[in-house]
Amino acid sequence: MKQTANLKTLGKMSRVSKKPALLYILLLLQSLLFSQIIFAQNITVKGQVTKEGGLPVQSASVLVKETKAGTTTDENGNFQISMAPNGTLLISALDLVAQEIKVAGRTTINTLLVATSNSLSEVIVVGYGTQRKEAITGSVASIGGDKLRDVPSPNITQALQGRLAGVDISQTSTRPGATMQIRIRGTRSLSADNNPLIVLDGIPFIGSLADINPNDIKSVDVLKDASATAIYGSRGANGVILVTTDKGGRNRKPRISYNSYHGVQNIFAKYPVMDGPQFVAYRKAASSTPRAQQYLNGQDEADSINTDWQDLLYRTGFVTDHNISLSGGTETGNYNFGGGYHLNQGIIPTQLYKRYSFRASIDQQVGKYIRVGFTTNNNYNQSEGNQVGIYGALSNTPISSPYNADGTAKRYIRMAADNSFIFTKDVVETLKDNGQWLNDSRGYATYNAVYGEVQAPFLKGLKYRVNLWLDYIQSNCGAYTGSGVGDALNPNTISSASVDNRQTYHWTVENILSYDKTFGGKHTVNAVALYSTEQNKYNRSNMSATDIPSDALQYYNLGQAVGQLTIDPNNQDYQLWGLMSGMGRVMYSYDSRYMISGTLRSDASSRLAPGNKWHTYPAVSVGWNISKESFMEAIPVINNLKLRAGYGQTSNQAVAVYSTLGRLDTRPYNFGPTNYGVGFYVNQLPNANLGWEYSKTLNVGLDFALLKNRLSGTVEYYDTKTEDILLGLSLPPTSGVSSITSNVGTTQNKGFELSLNGTIINNLNGWTWEMGVNFYTNKNKLTSLASGQTKDEGNWWFVGHNINAIYDYKKIGLWNTGKDSTDGYLNVLEPGGNVGMIKVEYTGGFDANGKPLRAIGTADRQIIDVDPDWQGGFNTRVAYKGFDLGVVGMYRKGGVLFSTIHGSNGYLNLLSGRRNNINVDYWTPDNTDAKYPRPGGILSGDNPKYGSTLSYFDGSFMKIRTITLGYDFNHSLMKNSGVKLRMYVTAQNPFVFFSPFHSESGLDPETNSFGNENASVNLSQNLRRILTVGYNTPSTRNYIVGVNLTF
Amino acid sequence: MKLIIKSFIAATLLLGSGSGCKKILDEEPRSIYTPDFFKTQKGILGGITSQYAHLRFIYGQPYYYNTLETGTDEYTWASSADQNFKDMDLSGVGNITAASSRSDALWGTAFSNINTASGIIENAVAVPAVTAAQVAEARFFRAFDYFLLVQTFGGVPLDLGAGELKFNTSASRTSIRNTVPEVYTKAIFPDLIQAVTDLPATPRATGTATKTVARLYLAKAYLTYAWWLQNPNNIPTYPASPRTDPAGKDAQYYFQQAYDIATQAIDNPGSFGLENTFYDLHVGGNDRNKEMLLYADHTQENAFYNGAPIISGSDAESGNGRNGAVWMVTWNYTVIRSAPNANGTGAGVSSVQREAAQSLGRPYTRMAPPIGPFLTTFADKTLDSRYDGTFAAVHRGNWPKGGAGNAVLYNANDLPVVPGDPIISFLEDESQTANIVYPSGANFPGKTSNNVGAGVLPGRADFVVNPRGISRIVYPNLWKMGVYRTDNGNGLGQPNATSTRPFKIAKFSELYFIAAEAAVKGATGVRSAVDLMNVIRARAGKWKFSNKNNAAFVADNSAAMIAATPAIIDINYILAERSREYFGEGHRWFDLVRTQKWNELAGTYQIGNGTYGSHTPQTVTRTIEPKHYIRPIPQGQLDGMQATPEEKAAYQNPGYQ
Repeated sequence: MKQTANLKTLGKMSRVSKKPALLYILLLLQSLLFSQIIFAQNITVKGQVTKEGGLPVQSASVLVKETKAGTTTDENGNFQISMAPNGTLLISALDLVAQEIKVAGRTTINTLLVATSNSLSEVIVVGYGTQRKEAITGSVASIGGDKLRDVPSPNITQALQGRLAGVDISQTSTRPGATMQIRIRGTRSLSADNNPLIVLDGIPFIGSLADINPNDIKSVDVLKDASATAIYGSRGANGVILVTTDKGGRNRKPRISYNSYHGVQNIFAKYPVMDGPQFVAYRKAASSTPRAQQYLNGQDEADSINTDWQDLLYRTGFVTDHNISLSGGTETGNYNFGGGYHLNQGIIPTQLYKRYSFRASIDQQVGKYIRVGFTTNNNYNQSEGNQVGIYGALSNTPISSPYNADGTAKRYIRMAADNSFIFTKDVVETLKDNGQWLNDSRGYATYNAVYGEVQAPFLKGLKYRVNLWLDYIQSNCGAYTGSGVGDALNPNTISSASVDNRQTYHWTVENILSYDKTFGGKHTVNAVALYSTEQNKYNRSNMSATDIPSDALQYYNLGQAVGQLTIDPNNQDYQLWGLMSGMGRVMYSYDSRYMISGTLRSDASSRLAPGNKWHTYPAVSVGWNISKESFMEAIPVINNLKLRAGYGQTSNQAVAVYSTLGRLDTRPYNFGPTNYGVGFYVNQLPNANLGWEYSKTLNVGLDFALLKNRLSGTVEYYDTKTEDILLGLSLPPTSGVSSITSNVGTTQNKGFELSLNGTIINNLNGWTWEMGVNFYTNKNKLTSLASGQTKDEGNWWFVGHNINAIYDYKKIGLWNTGKDSTDGYLNVLEPGGNVGMIKVEYTGGFDANGKPLRAIGTADRQIIDVDPDWQGGFNTRVAYKGFDLGVVGMYRKGGVLFSTIHGSNGYLNLLSGRRNNINVDYWTPDNTDAKYPRPGGILSGDNPKYGSTLSYFDGSFMKIRTITLGYDFNHSLMKNSGVKLRMYVTAQNPFVFFSPFHSESGLDPETNSFGNENASVNLSQNLRRILTVGYNTPSTRNYIVGVNLTF
Repeated sequence: MKLIIKSFIAATLLLGSGSGCKKILDEEPRSIYTPDFFKTQKGILGGITSQYAHLRFIYGQPYYYNTLETGTDEYTWASSADQNFKDMDLSGVGNITAASSRSDALWGTAFSNINTASGIIENAVAVPAVTAAQVAEARFFRAFDYFLLVQTFGGVPLDLGAGELKFNTSASRTSIRNTVPEVYTKAIFPDLIQAVTDLPATPRATGTATKTVARLYLAKAYLTYAWWLQNPNNIPTYPASPRTDPAGKDAQYYFQQAYDIATQAIDNPGSFGLENTFYDLHVGGNDRNKEMLLYADHTQENAFYNGAPIISGSDAESGNGRNGAVWMVTWNYTVIRSAPNANGTGAGVSSVQREAAQSLGRPYTRMAPPIGPFLTTFADKTLDSRYDGTFAAVHRGNWPKGGAGNAVLYNANDLPVVPGDPIISFLEDESQTANIVYPSGANFPGKTSNNVGAGVLPGRADFVVNPRGISRIVYPNLWKMGVYRTDNGNGLGQPNATSTRPFKIAKFSELYFIAAEAAVKGATGVRSAVDLMNVIRARAGKWKFSNKNNAAFVADNSAAMIAATPAIIDINYILAERSREYFGEGHRWFDLVRTQKWNELAGTYQIGNGTYGSHTPQTVTRTIEPKHYIRPIPQGQLDGMQATPEEKAAYQNPGYQ
């Protein structure tokens, strides 16, 4: 049905276009040949646009109001335009208040534009169009590219952290090149992807933010509520990040920009494990505990040794980044070409991330009615050394030495109960140099968009645009481990190698019809209709082999292996999915006072069951610019006041491909040593009823600007309810199948957001001081699970609690003293327990004498909510003459920080004397008010009983992300030259405050791992969502020197 | 320009519409199978392979293994035990609950396999190329799983959502349990009778089901059902059911059936039979021998088909069907030290290092045998080869394999030892106990050797522990299940990989035990219970190799073994004999529950505390209640069911709510 409608529209278009075809050609010729002649009666107006401090404003837009002819200012703020002597000029630029100037025959017009802290005239990208900020009714947070670059980083996720209210960005890895996890207004889905949609230059982008060079970015706009994201339909269910890149300007002379920075990376803090004397005391304390398992010094251990294994492993990292671009424009078009190089050599030996990128965009007006363009983004990236872990460096006892008595290096050390292969910097680098231990990953991605836009000659404001996006992404990974590498037991363990190749092919076609019109001066209408189709194909191949005869072969020819070759069917993949959509949106504004926007979108996804593939949902939002009302003129202190409200649905095809079809799982088996078979069994049932998961969001916001726009801000409240959540529903085993993907469960996210920007000192004796702060809360909870179920213990899901809740015992202290233990019935609650062990809360009953009725058991586990109470960020900038000093920070209050290194997952807080341990304040008979239990006390497995409860810390912290001091040479040395030069120095990650975790351990309180990574016993795959501090590559403190040069 | 417009329209048509609305929204997987494939011949044969593969998720799963041994007279928890092990001991250190029960490995695996079996049986009707013998393999496993379930949990559902014994493809979130006699008479007996008829006498492929294994399980099911009908100690059943047979037969009838089927199998052995010696039966490298009727296979040759890494430096004990059971019963012998200096000083050298060898392997110290088996069950250690073929009672120096260069080390009494010499020995009896000197802790004052609190005997270079001196931390390893690899070379091999040996499930020898037990319970026939046991005991008297001395040792004590058999044997004797034959193989809990002797034989045990230097036996009493004779229904089942709390409580076995 949709298809027919589209064909009709297209048919109409092409019929219409036949008649004026000749006209177009004439117009084209006219514009090429006769433009000078036709406008000969005009005068030429010249001028300079400046802002506070007399600084030139480059790339300001200069438009003739009557004819819409336009140009932009050059790097010195100068412009020249031909126009009628009685015409009016519209001069505008980003972050500055636009001005309308009647020329009145003058030929020189110099203009001073004042800064608008609230940037009302700022143009915001709202998806399939732009809007002036004052007309926006949805929830949109924006940040300019220059502000993002305050935080020099390989990708903008790091730079965005703490900058926008409601946009929670968490670190998931500290390895070079890692991107961060972005959650816009909380987590909605239980098992599906909660990542926002990225839209690059107006077109949905399937790459990651790491594929976009931060230097190319002009602005980032984040659509947060349903009324704003509705136009992107299911793709935008988790919010939308619109990235707009710099595209050169019209009538701009060719310009070359060169941006570069270099820096060193030092460890923020070593993992706080014990040194030699501390360890000796600790092992002694453990062995003196009655009934403790005795760990006496191993073969290679001696109390007199004090080895710092971390010092032996880490190196100084460095980062270097170069980016060059050429941009410019003519009367009718513009272009931008750019290339970049980024290298980060990590602090773990051999770890590195390297990226080469190339980008080009061309936009050309052809004649009066047609515009065509082309954008290509390409990058080649490489990462190495990710197999190098640090567990050995942390768990090797400090009283063992990496050297033999004769000074030669040992291959491994023998500790009390464990042997450990020695990985020092020298060993790792030698293994790499010899090609014996490699883990390389190379990726290439190309994202290409072509578009064409036709303006209807018969109806002004009506445009048809087609976008075609063609993408290809590939990654090739190879790993090789030489014979015996890493094996402390067996130096002859055979070598192994593996290869993993992945390709993604993706295309999107969008047909957009839009209409812009202002009637009677006060009625402004913008209407958009869209029809789009996209398809994505993904293919993965993986193979591995053992016993490669020669190290020289590495992973390049597994066919040479003399051991076994494995192609595990679980490591091969093929996915093909498609999405078809139709969307209509109308935005209407009366006198810039009353605004309303309505959207209707239909999506059809291949992932859902036949009959449930299509889903249609509405969104509507309204706005009232109170400050434009006449009664507000009496309150001059208020420059802007706008109330917004929106309600809408979004939906999410939050389900893996082929989920509706069910699947057979495989079980390989051997009948005797060498006769093999693969078994099949029905593991997942088909579900013909699988439909869309959708969210309903209510959003209310107030935008304001006070005191001549020196203080501006936004307050917002939202409530998102997600229903029919798609989930792999566990069936009772008696059904004979383990799961079915189903629509079950609901979640809610509601929150409050505040952002404030102020100019505290505005160019007072050359001083300017600006400050921005944002604050937000998000209350996330599960409101129902499958049919009346209130808890899912296996997945740690509980109705009424955070999706990321933890389910565990609650530590309330230690059993401190013998008296405490007698009074508290240690013997009843903890059969076999000891004084000095962890005391957890008992939730059972008591008899008449106050004696507990039973021992502590699984019934005493409790639900621990982990989300922070509130969080946000701040930034400030002080400028004086050419100097500027900027600080960017973030903060978080409350919530739980999950440190696997302190709990039982990490095997670094065993408190048994077995291996090296986190240097914690442990209980001894002389230190009874300790936080950590008695070494050598009761165990559960290899860890102290209830050791998992030691993982949980207060998640509060405040962190200074960067401090940057810059100097603009145009202020002095090169005042009047065409060359712009700024240099800066930045310290990244310099300070952490108010963090109980940091105070205790000295570590960075930001998470560095998913739940199923970087621990010795990881959380299960379905608890991957819980972010943790594990033993990943240590967090770094970076010192960077950078330069921005334009000529 | 017109051209441009046209190209765009063409591109739009081609990509947006030309390829068709339907096509873009259609799905066709190319890397996975959908359930439709299960209706093809290859799909059905894959289903049959899966029947075998599912065994790995039950047998060798260390926590499930623990449920069959910990809490019996064969094993208790050891010093590094976590709650999984302490719960099962019922000795006041834990409690078996629906949430903590590790019988979930069985519950979670069996129904899916039963459903697959039902699918094979149904789908094969439309695929003539699948033979009746192949379908009978599925029938065998459906009965096999139901038999395990009914012994463990009581009555279990026969209807998975599509009707009794039907292939379920619906998302059924309800469940109704059948009674014990329904499970036996509707599912287990008919499937096994059909399987006995249709299965081949010799296996289709290595280790596949035969008439003989079907007969063994049929006989054992009859035997177990007969006991259930008789219920000598008045143990409750659930769901409630009278102890009467729907077919109107009595217990005696089924004891006789058990005897008849078992002796039929003995008389028609096909390619099966007893190995010559107990040692042959269990020595690594001879696992797929003629005595083995069923095993969960593994291979050292291929990690993918083995289901677990084979060269991993550090592997998990469970998951994905790994065979990590033996790690649980292996004590941490690597703590043993011998001194480099002749006066017993100097940095202690690890003289018995972690090696992928049958008497060593990866230590977890989760389960320990109490003293009883050493003094009672295996009282005879000289005539009967089974003590020597069950335990690794002597650990020998292997330090050069781990790279330690010392030619000689100084061990007990500061006497020199060389590689291959005994470093620590678990003594066979108490005759020398009075002469043993133990340190008060891990070591003797001033000495670096030992380190595990073992004692010395005058003149002996090996440290010693008397049978009553074993503890939860120092005890003999289970040799019969120890790892065996062929790729060690001259080194320690891959001790951290899970076992690549098959996990033994059913042996030809058990037919003699089933018939003998039935005979003790009154069944009659050509062979008496004593006759049957004597076959087993005669074989047990044959020696080929001495693990204790690590040397060939040929002896035939068959006659003496037979002579020592009592003239009249009772159930306790059968159970003791079963423990000698199948110690640590995961039979014990079923045996004690079937015969309702659990409390009598395992109600108390003795063992030393879990610290080095503990050699004083502690007597521990277990509280084994009648409710414990069936396990709780796992919490995952109850959580997954759509039912009211009352219905869920009624679904659970009594006493576990």
